[in-house]
Amino acid sequence: MFEQIVFWSLAALTLGSALCVVLMRNTVHSSLFLGLSLAGVAGLYGSLGADFLFAAQIMVYVSGIAVLIMFAVMLLGRASDLHLRQVNDRWMAALLVCGVSAVGLCKVAASFRLAFATTPTKPGTHALGRLFLGEYLLPFELVSLVLLAALLGAVFFTHSEKA
Amino acid sequence: MTLAHYLAVGSGLFLIGVFGALTRRNIIGILMSVELMFNAANINLAAFDRFLHPGGVAGQSLALFVIAVAAAEVVVGLALLLAIYRNADTVYAEDFNLLKG
Repeated sequence: MFEQIVFWSLAALTLGSALCVVLMRNTVHSSLFLGLSLAGVAGLYGSLGADFLFAAQIMVYVSGIAVLIMFAVMLLGRASDLHLRQVNDRWMAALLVCGVSAVGLCKVAASFRLAFATTPTKPGTHALGRLFLGEYLLPFELVSLVLLAALLGAVFFTHSEKA
Repeated sequence: MTLAHYLAVGSGLFLIGVFGALTRRNIIGILMSVELMFNAANINLAAFDRFLHPGGVAGQSLALFVIAVAAAEVVVGLALLLAIYRNADTVYAEDFNLLKG
């Protein structure tokens, strides 16, 4: 019972604020709702028992990416944006694409409706650490290389000619 | 709660992201929609881990890689956006037509 209340409220929070992200006219509001939606996803990780993923989601997404996007919105926006349409004129076609995909995805999801969780959740951080420094050592190091490249790329692209 | 519930939430989030990426005019809005799609994929990975592979963490580790790559993507994306904004002075995707000559 408790599990169901938690799941449905988190699902409603995540999907409702995701809809606000997509439909809000003011981009600042949409970036605030993005943070809320990502926090809802973190809650879903918690309800799945993925404790390290929950912490990583809060640290990287909610307090990193959402804040970064908010900064970009405030740097790049201007007052006239509030009066312009934020949706292009092909939204009917996009809605059609999403409706058709929704039918297919619902069929796939419905085929797993008898998959219940059989074991209680247990902390996975220890196993994740073992996996990252054992079997997945090479991809783990490659990700650090990707992050370094992203760092250098960001510095390179935002570097202005005059300075 | 079954796996189908979590997959349905993941699909809903993904489709909202697809709709946003296809319809938003503001390029930051498109980036936000892409983030929603990454999160939908991550929910599915964590849910498959919990229901079909109990006790395993392979799906969670894949989700962590996705989070790291998404962080890199958003940093480079916003940096490119700042550079384009400095030249073209707009954030709307249909005005980015520098290559059209």
